[in-house]
Amino acid sequence: MSLVMILLAPLLGGLVYGAERVLRARMQRRQGPPLLQPFYDMFKLMDKRTLIIHAPHALLAVAHFLLLWLAVGALFAGWNLLYIVFLHLFALIVLVLAGYSVRSPYSQVGANRELAALAAYEPILVLLAVGFYLVAGSFDVSAILAHGGYLAQMPLLFAALLIILPIKLKKSPFDTVEAHQEIVGGVEVEYSGLFYEFLYMARFLEYLFVYGLVFLFAGASPLWGLLLVLAVFLLVNLVDNATARVRTDQMVKIIYATAFTMATANIIWISL
Amino acid sequence: MKFFNAFRKKSPWILHYNAGSCNGCDIEILAALGPRYDLERFGVINTGNPKQSDIFLVTGPVTYRSRERLVELYCQIPEPKVVIAVGSCTAAGGVFRGMYNVEDGIDRYIPVDVYVPGCASSPQLIIDAVVESLQILERKSKAIETPFKLFGAVETVAGKLSRLGMAKKVTDAED
Ligand code: SF4
Repeated sequence: MSLVMILLAPLLGGLVYGAERVLRARMQRRQGPPLLQPFYDMFKLMDKRTLIIHAPHALLAVAHFLLLWLAVGALFAGWNLLYIVFLHLFALIVLVLAGYSVRSPYSQVGANRELAALAAYEPILVLLAVGFYLVAGSFDVSAILAHGGYLAQMPLLFAALLIILPIKLKKSPFDTVEAHQEIVGGVEVEYSGLFYEFLYMARFLEYLFVYGLVFLFAGASPLWGLLLVLAVFLLVNLVDNATARVRTDQMVKIIYATAFTMATANIIWISL
Repeated sequence: MKFFNAFRKKSPWILHYNAGSCNGCDIEILAALGPRYDLERFGVINTGNPKQSDIFLVTGPVTYRSRERLVELYCQIPEPKVVIAVGSCTAAGGVFRGMYNVEDGIDRYIPVDVYVPGCASSPQLIIDAVVESLQILERKSKAIETPFKLFGAVETVAGKLSRLGMAKKVTDAED
């Protein structure tokens, strides 16, 4: 079962992304693209001529995609949550390297911002894993899912996760990393055709990763988990449509002032 | 491959470039992308990145200052690609025709597939042009398309055409 899920992960993520584009369009009173639009985009990108800057740059995109797939697969297979968080970090470091490896200014600025964002949200992901460990007594995702719900004991950690979600999903108010209007996508600016497609699919996996983390909060009952994910999905898109972008330095300050403090307070509270 | 051809017209990504227009047509393009006309329902995304685009939407009568960027952007769009000239001034100079600082129309520099009339052209016309260009996009092959004019000197490096000095390593600037 979980093997099938892991193999189909990019498809599943693509559906989530498609649903989100429809939802966002409806929130703006538009009709929006069809649900399967991400897959049409994928097939079209396969058909384009590919312009490559240099081989490592192109291959780093593939590596980023594969590492993310590994992280999401590990999450589905119920491995150690701490490993999964660090695998995810590794995948993003690879992306940052790709950004720095070309001389395009937008790519470099994008990589800088990606690093700043990593410094902002990574501590919270680690604290999240620690929180689960303190409550469930194990870092293993399968053990975490066997335990009852977590919302009662980790409400502040959940709120912290909600605050960093827009960074991970590249949504307002924390979408400076991508910022199409100023740096045209940041790290992905020099990619085209087949190799851009890997970054495009990596985005689907990113969706699965963060919503997977949200799912963990419901613990043993999958139904509550799905409801929780659905509620968060609606909330994130609502916030995306209703807010404007903040600067990168403001983003880091806001994350440390709110999410990091809340997460730390919650950890102290659990361990008391 | 034949299988993928059908998907070209389902996900056209747009690059919009203003080659010295009066901004009238740009506003109409944005209106076509906005909620009322919603071009995104055809899968259109305004990427702003030539390397990931399929459709090149140009407005304006190519001023002298914008010629090189126009050709450069055109060259950076990977094939298959189509060019849409939006507005009368893009097609033939329009109100700017014969002025000292403009070329009359973009088709002196790059091949154009669809012309949109009107000054300013309307969102309906722009949507019609995009839909029309999708059929052209589907028929096109992946053969390299070149602009009519290139700027700057070129040289041959290892049997390939290259801009003058582009293939050389950058050495430290002497001051
Ligand atoms: S066609 Fe008319 S409205 Fe459009 S850019 Fe040219 S001058 Fe402006």
